[in-house]
Amino acid sequence: MKYVLLAVAAVATLAAAVLLGPADVPLRDVLGSPIVWQLRLPRAVLAFLVGGALGVSGVALQALVRNPLADPFLLGLSGGAGLGAVVAIAFDLPGPWALPLAAFVGAVSAMALVYRLGLIGGAELDPRILLLGGVAVGAFAAAITTAIVSLAEATELRNAFLWLWGGFSGASWTTVLVILVYAPLPLAVLAAAARPLDLLALGEEPAQYLGADVRRLKRLVYLAASLLTAAAVAVAGVIGFVGLIVPHLCRLVWGRLHRALFPTAFLVGGTLLAAADTLARTVVAPRELPVGIVTALLGVPVFAFLLRRWTVS
Amino acid sequence: MTAPAQRVVSLLPSFTELLFAIGAGDRLVGRTAWCDYPPEALRVPSVGDGMPPNVEAVAARHPDLVVLYRSGPNITAAEQLERLGIKTVLLDLNRLEDLGPAARRLGVLTGRVASADSLAGAMDSLASQPAAPGSQSLVFIVWDNPAIVIGAGSYLDRLAALSGARNVFHDIGSPSAQVSIETIAARDPDFVAVLSDSAVPPRYAGRPEWRAVRAVRARRFLFLPGQLFGRPGPRVAEAVRELRRRLDRAP
Repeated sequence: MKYVLLAVAAVATLAAAVLLGPADVPLRDVLGSPIVWQLRLPRAVLAFLVGGALGVSGVALQALVRNPLADPFLLGLSGGAGLGAVVAIAFDLPGPWALPLAAFVGAVSAMALVYRLGLIGGAELDPRILLLGGVAVGAFAAAITTAIVSLAEATELRNAFLWLWGGFSGASWTTVLVILVYAPLPLAVLAAAARPLDLLALGEEPAQYLGADVRRLKRLVYLAASLLTAAAVAVAGVIGFVGLIVPHLCRLVWGRLHRALFPTAFLVGGTLLAAADTLARTVVAPRELPVGIVTALLGVPVFAFLLRRWTVS
Repeated sequence: MTAPAQRVVSLLPSFTELLFAIGAGDRLVGRTAWCDYPPEALRVPSVGDGMPPNVEAVAARHPDLVVLYRSGPNITAAEQLERLGIKTVLLDLNRLEDLGPAARRLGVLTGRVASADSLAGAMDSLASQPAAPGSQSLVFIVWDNPAIVIGAGSYLDRLAALSGARNVFHDIGSPSAQVSIETIAARDPDFVAVLSDSAVPPRYAGRPEWRAVRAVRARRFLFLPGQLFGRPGPRVAEAVRELRRRLDRAP
């Protein structure tokens, strides 16, 4: 029943995203309208896929670092992506894909650095080291970013931050295709890790005794979740709160087994982000809100409610 | 009535242009890195990009007057300069209507009242002119992802109207705003105006999502050089004529 409701919500949200918008598209023209085919539909699909990816990535990272406050962007990825984006603009890298590609490279570099820090001295991706390393690498990248912005003579740099704040303005079938080609591999790796992740929740030693290869598991999950988030950054910038809230919501409704958490987090994340983007496009029309603002406005109250429940019980 | 300022630092390209236009250019002892017009301005030492102002670099020019654009960081900088005993003036300059009063104020401060009044008079009458007749429409796109366009709060909106072209985002009150590509496509402007010194179509023109906008698809771009169109200034009448000429020449 809960699954049926979720499926209905997902379909209804996608339908609303396609039907609502600032341009007047009569209902009978929806299927033939270029506005729908070239703008609304790819944008709705992209928002759904990115939301799904962030939801799944959030579930995986929270399980990995065994910390409910973990967010896919916590481990330095947003700082790295920001640095990449600013470098692309400051050095005027050519081509329409320069900015997203540079953001992706920045995010992956930051991830690699945190990963390397997490292995120092045989730490074996100790959650505490990962979190601290993520904060440090993120702050370092942010410092370099700010230095470039204040020293370079390009007014466009201000706009790099607008891009970073996240959004689906640049959605097209090409960006949808990028995610569709890219996401299945990390998603499959995570799906395969569902059972061992359940064991990891018991603690690293018990998981080891119960037959999980904890070392390999942590490395694979870390890389898959981070690469998934980096792809989301490349096509949509840094969108906060989805990766933080969705895992909590899903655990509340579907329990703690990752076999159920991964698919539901994908659908809940997708539905939430597609809905948030529809609101961002329509509530202040003709203007548009950055979608990250909508997710934060929706996410923080939900989060506060969850925290309350969590501390009461 | 205090004595006219003798050593002026201008922290906005528009003010630099206005000071030269009223014949007070020889009083300038500091400018921003962006002040590139008139050519004589380049001989004045630069005090940096002015965003935010480097208070020490400004003070090192020993000015008796610093002219700043009214904005958050500039208000702080002005307070710091005042504490150093340097007189500052904060002026608004967003809309065409702000040009006349700014010119008059600068005229009083530099003792060039007569020429400032005649320049201000010309700009006031331009600013109060009704929109020129014309059926063409345009959108100013300042950034593509997210799409940022110019609204009625910017001098560019009025500049377009005076040239006989309607800004399709005239209903947005602020100087600029984020909008969706869908809204731009729905409003279907005849032209896309781009502030650019070269006539190379912007990068986003090749992206599939932008092809939903007719003017982008048809490559109907108006390239407006930043020096003339990037800021309101004494040459605004020239800017209006130039935009009109480009609209007429467009296919």
